[in-house]
Amino acid sequence: MPEFTRVGIARTRYLTFEFEGTEVPAAPGETVAAALLCAGVTAFRVTGSQGARAPVCNMGVCFECVLVIDGHALVRSCMTPAREGMKITREVDA
Amino acid sequence: MKRAGEDFDVAIIGAGPAGMAAATTIADSGPTVVLLDEQPRVGGQIFRQPPAELQQGPLSIAPGYPWARALIEACESHQNISFRPRTTAWGTFREHPADGRGALRVGTYADPGGSWIGASRLVIATGAYDLPVAFPGWTLPGVMMAGAVQSLLKSQRVRAPGPVVLVGSHPLLIILADQLIAAGGEVLEVAMARGLPTPREMVRALSAIPGHVRLLTSLAGAMTRLRRAGVRISTHTVVDRAHGSDRARAVSLRGIDGAWQPTAPARVVVCNTLVVGYGFLPSVELARQAGCEVRWAPSRGGWVVAHDHQQRTTVPDVFVAGEPTGVAGAEQSHADGLIAGETIVRDLTGTALPARRTRAKAARARSFARVVEWMFPPPLTELADLVDDDTVVCRCESVNAGQIRALLDHNPHVCDVNAVKIECRAGMGPCQGRYCGTTVAAITAQRRGMPIDQVGAFTAQVPVRPVPLAAISGMDS
Repeated sequence: MPEFTRVGIARTRYLTFEFEGTEVPAAPGETVAAALLCAGVTAFRVTGSQGARAPVCNMGVCFECVLVIDGHALVRSCMTPAREGMKITREVDA
Repeated sequence: MKRAGEDFDVAIIGAGPAGMAAATTIADSGPTVVLLDEQPRVGGQIFRQPPAELQQGPLSIAPGYPWARALIEACESHQNISFRPRTTAWGTFREHPADGRGALRVGTYADPGGSWIGASRLVIATGAYDLPVAFPGWTLPGVMMAGAVQSLLKSQRVRAPGPVVLVGSHPLLIILADQLIAAGGEVLEVAMARGLPTPREMVRALSAIPGHVRLLTSLAGAMTRLRRAGVRISTHTVVDRAHGSDRARAVSLRGIDGAWQPTAPARVVVCNTLVVGYGFLPSVELARQAGCEVRWAPSRGGWVVAHDHQQRTTVPDVFVAGEPTGVAGAEQSHADGLIAGETIVRDLTGTALPARRTRAKAARARSFARVVEWMFPPPLTELADLVDDDTVVCRCESVNAGQIRALLDHNPHVCDVNAVKIECRAGMGPCQGRYCGTTVAAITAQRRGMPIDQVGAFTAQVPVRPVPLAAISGMDS
């Protein structure tokens, strides 16, 4: 699975959050979307008939990266900084 | 999660070059300013900075904008500017909603709650976003907008997986390909829809636009480095489709002539990331919701906010600056912001600021914007031809082009995009039509044989961005 690569600045410390039951590392300052992309996640949103979706705009416009974060639905993961212990799941499409 | 309302002399939505210029101009003369942005720091997309934890050394500023650093620093420290990060402005209201009169109030949301901001003047400086271009396979993970790949690299310091292919018509693609390679990425090809400016055209443009030399020389430098790195730069080439089932694994590209007709069979290039950069759309929904008139300006990105030479919209206490007036780049946005700021200072304090240098700057920026427009016009209507019947147009609601065409054929009276929306749900999802509006309009116009500006635009409704209902309902009215 091709994943995004962390570049440019050494990350010395990582926190972890939970995505669909799996622990995902994130450096402080990283968004949930960036950390998931670095973990090789390609399916952020799963539509009924049209397959998986992943971040498209990274500026809060497209809503393809939305997740359920700590019980709040429709949260844009590209605009949300990763925090220790977050519990994150996919949106379930009707 | 109730928070009390607050009052400021001026509310500015968007902390990019336009919003920052207006904010500092006004704050320097005394009035109080609240500056709202959805991002954690000021700068806008063009000067988007990493969060403090990922920043190393001084601010990184794109070459060619000598004023940017001081402007960012001023906005972060000015005592009359209250910067509200990670804050969504989801609607504008009047104190007396019944007759639309009275002071302006802006509905805002920042996790965990909503609040009202009152102001006697509003500046809409909401910028632009990557022009969404629908083509077969564009919903596959791995297909991303140029602004996304660039902002992930610049402000999150993460690099998209190679091999990368970039398709589009905007010079940003050349700069981005160069940045990816400098960060260790693998770029195979940049496919541009039109020809690239020749060195001779560039030189001619240079002499016409003093002050922008570094922008064009950085473009020329990037092209040289790409060629040296073995990146194929093809011209008169467009995306045909992205291939893959769970994610993008390849892209078909095809050659076109001046009329966008294919000149050769499509060829397939393997890629893990497909970057799309056909231009930008002005963010005008907040202005439209506030009642400002818009007009159609295809060479400047589509629907733009009408305004006078002092940046005043058709709503007297609402001003507009930067890309919502027509996509023209950071220099023009900066000039717009200065002019809006000067007008508001005169309105509020009666003081006329010396404006000669601002006017000269604005004129220079306009001539540069015209050169870029001439070299890289956004191919709005041609792009709709990329869509086949199975292509998803509305990503949120998974509505494809075939469904839209069928409903138009079955409902001959429908010739407005809002009627299309009601009939098939395209534009009803959480992005509120920002990602399908242009394509729905182009398909409707094509089917009806009408000019695209005659089929309308999705109505901008409150909230202009989805915010938790509980947060809004908890606010005092």
